[in-house]
Amino acid sequence: MKKIHLEIIFGTVFILISALLLAIMAVKEQDRLGEEGRLSAYEGQQRASQIEFGAGIYETNCTSCHGEYGQGIPGKAPCLRCEELFSARMEEIGWQGSLEEYVESVVTTGRQVSTRPELYQGEGLGSPVMPTWSEAFGGPLREDQVKSVAAFVANFEEWGLNPELVPTPVIALPPDDPTALGRLVFVQQGCIGCHTVEGLSTATTGPVLNGLADRAGSTVDGMDAEEYIKNSIKNPSDYVVSEFNDGLMPANFSELITDEEMDLLLSFLLTLSE
Amino acid sequence: MLNSLREKINNFPRGTELRTKIREMVDNRVRIITAGLSMKEIRAVLRGDPPTEKPNPRYKVITTSFVAHLRPRYYPKAATWFTHTFRLGWFTTFFFVVELVTGMVLMIYYVPFPDQAYESILAIESNVFLGELMRDLHRLGAEGMVLFTWLHMFRTYFTGSYKGQRSFTWLTGVALLAITAWLSFSGYLLTWDQLGYWAITVGSSMAESGPVVGPALNLLLRGAPDIGAGGLLRFYLNHVILFPLIAILVISIHYYKVSREHSISLPATVEEGKLTKEERKEATRRIDLIPDLLTHELFLTSLGILIMLVILYFGLFASPLETHANPQQTPLDTKAPWYFWWLQGLLKIDPASIIENMLAGIGITVELSSILNSKFIMGLVIPPVLIGILVGVPYIDRNPSRLAKNRPFAIGWGIAWIFILLALSYMGLPEFGVETPLATRIIQDLAPEEGLGELRATPYEELIPGVYTVGEDYGRDLCPSGYSYEDHESGELVIGCPHLTAVFTEYSEKLLIGEEEGKLTDLHATMTIEDFAPSLRRVIMHIEWFDDDASIDKEYEKQYFLHLDRVREH
Ligand code: HEC
Ligand code: HEC
Ligand code: HEM
Repeated sequence: MKKIHLEIIFGTVFILISALLLAIMAVKEQDRLGEEGRLSAYEGQQRASQIEFGAGIYETNCTSCHGEYGQGIPGKAPCLRCEELFSARMEEIGWQGSLEEYVESVVTTGRQVSTRPELYQGEGLGSPVMPTWSEAFGGPLREDQVKSVAAFVANFEEWGLNPELVPTPVIALPPDDPTALGRLVFVQQGCIGCHTVEGLSTATTGPVLNGLADRAGSTVDGMDAEEYIKNSIKNPSDYVVSEFNDGLMPANFSELITDEEMDLLLSFLLTLSE
Repeated sequence: MLNSLREKINNFPRGTELRTKIREMVDNRVRIITAGLSMKEIRAVLRGDPPTEKPNPRYKVITTSFVAHLRPRYYPKAATWFTHTFRLGWFTTFFFVVELVTGMVLMIYYVPFPDQAYESILAIESNVFLGELMRDLHRLGAEGMVLFTWLHMFRTYFTGSYKGQRSFTWLTGVALLAITAWLSFSGYLLTWDQLGYWAITVGSSMAESGPVVGPALNLLLRGAPDIGAGGLLRFYLNHVILFPLIAILVISIHYYKVSREHSISLPATVEEGKLTKEERKEATRRIDLIPDLLTHELFLTSLGILIMLVILYFGLFASPLETHANPQQTPLDTKAPWYFWWLQGLLKIDPASIIENMLAGIGITVELSSILNSKFIMGLVIPPVLIGILVGVPYIDRNPSRLAKNRPFAIGWGIAWIFILLALSYMGLPEFGVETPLATRIIQDLAPEEGLGELRATPYEELIPGVYTVGEDYGRDLCPSGYSYEDHESGELVIGCPHLTAVFTEYSEKLLIGEEEGKLTDLHATMTIEDFAPSLRRVIMHIEWFDDDASIDKEYEKQYFLHLDRVREH
């Protein structure tokens, strides 16, 4: 047989095999695009990675006001994983679209003035209670980042509607070091949203707490440091620090903080010397 | 009037006469379309018979047809030996055509704006019928084209085919090397993911380092100080219009030189070697384009298509797609595509410190780093010099012989360059010469910023919340004894947490080795897993140690969010 004939035969065979492979791929693709289950599995994966991405954005941008786990910080910003947002809030605001769209719109533009000024005053002086986030309005986040963080917040619905599902956070530090654990409680309860502690937070709504350990014992006659601090947290209006207004520090921490957590918190705060 | 019509009908040819008449008419059309071949001739071509007319009508096609005039009438037999060209130039052209075809399909769906580009790629991968295949073909074809261009260049170098008149062919070839590089470079940005974005940012920052015109050049390239909408659009237009057109033009010139002017060079052994008269006659026998070369090329085309499809069918190649480009976050490992590793390797050489050290050796201390910055020298000066050397090859090498044994120096140089390129490419690997702190490296290996990694491959069910401390004894399995779960993806029943345990073991072992080697004194490391949101857990890797060199405590922490439904494998 001449070389040219071999080439024609093999060439034809190759083209037939290629056509077969292509046909198999096309059929598989057709199934993938057609089948509800597969497509939704794929969309589920896309959604999952969007939520993961949004969690990272939440973690870097939002925790200082809305709390480490979206639980909110009294006086600073509302809870994002609580029932209210998922049941009553849309109606209260008069929002027609979906919850996720609401979140997206709030995050995009931020809020100049709170819709609940009695709860959230912000830093005052015309600064917004919640800053603008979208690049389109001069914020730091791209559109896809805003969308992702909105997906992350909307994903809280399951916990919002079933509060019993919300787990207690695992403490992310050596379990035998009360100071370190107290520091964590301080972060988780959102104290960092108002107080500056060197190396941890820079907020200015409340007094700087470095040096608290030195001054706490002598602030109120007859109260030792531990008693004073505990009282300042549970009943902030009893002794208001000068230059600060009464009522800024939330008064309901006694309900939010367990005794155990309070002990840890104290052992942390008592290390804060000048 | 009626009469004349009747006459016409009466005179209308019938029977054999009619058949010949029709055949003549068809034949005429066919000759016009094929630019010279009659039906009979086509039949002869297909049968493999010799030409039916004189002069050979198969050559007429090539002189009269616009498309075919690019093609040779024939090549001497020896020039078509497989071991002479390895069909490297041919396959480069094949890949270029693959790029044109698949590129046109991708263009339909791709959107060249920063806020939509990445999503349009996702859509191509997931929603467009055979979109993923098109994208893979385009990416595979691009890598193939670059690879084969280089190989083809080395082939023509080693066979000495750039000598004499062919120096112009070589020159257009060098232009094609640059054009191919630019085509692939500009395409790299279009996915608008971290991979492309940072490879292009690093690449184009070389332009910026140039003196005087540097910043202007950078601006021209990027359309703004940083790559944004302007840069993306520029790269897109370069990639889909300007450079494909330039490539088509230059390939045509390049190929015209080969096919119509000089023919493919004869192997040196035929041109200069001692052959008997018989052997020479056989070696220079004409191999016609029609039908032999053309059949061969169709065969190669079917082979090329088959190989590409087989590679993709069996998943041996997949186009990478990382997360959305993020100008605020420089990835730990910026990766240029492999065919630019040599350049990345060059950039890691610091000429200033080398010269400083050399001069210090003979007792002179100078400070050069302010004048000789390595980006400028290695990125802007050296590559043009290399191109200059390439262009100059036919003029530097004045040795008239093409036989390998007569040109030991040129062959030696060629081989040396291959090794230099390989060595530079090795140096260009992201890991090479870039000192990443051990703690960072360990975590990056376990859970790379991009791609899957062991940690992300862990099933959600194994991510049991808790604090796991390195160095503590957790027994054989990290999870509580008796724990078992049904994998929500595969439905398999799994006892314990084999995957998580493996991840933690690797993490611990690497850290403990680091501690033993004295790189991580006073090591304290944890892996914490906690519930963060519904179906979403957070894993925090936290490492603290005492840095002996700087005498301070250091810590490194990295967190990962893992969702129940995330992709666990590719
Ligand atoms: C400076 C503090 C601050 C930061 C930082 C902040 N927020 Fe807010 N956010 C607020 C306040 C205060 C409100 C309440 C506004 C109101 O009552 O109208 C709010 C409201 C919201 C709401 C609407 C909740 C509701 O009940 O209507 C959403 C959703 C939200 N924030 C999401 C985010 C996300 C996501 C981020 C991070 C990208 C973020 N916020 C960062 C202070 C903040
Ligand atoms: C919404 C803002 C806000 C939050 C959240 C907040 N504080 Fe305060 N805190 C203040 C302000 C304002 C004061 C000063 C006025 C006062 O004493 O009531 C203050 C005062 C204190 C003082 C007394 C300081 C001193 O120098 O005498 C302590 C202690 C304290 N806070 C601890 C905490 C702790 C612990 C938490 C977290 C559980 C917390 N705060 C959360 C605003 C806040
Ligand atoms: C897009 C890239 C290129 C394409 C499509 C291409 C295509 C071709 C083709 C089809 C041939 C015919 C012979 C063969 O198949 O080997 C050829 C020959 C040749 N090419 Fe290229 N080429 C490219 C790049 C280059 C480069 C980078 C060089 C060298 C710098 C080069 C130098 C030559 C020379 C010297 C010949 C003549 C070879 C001979 O006569 O034996 N080409 N080219």
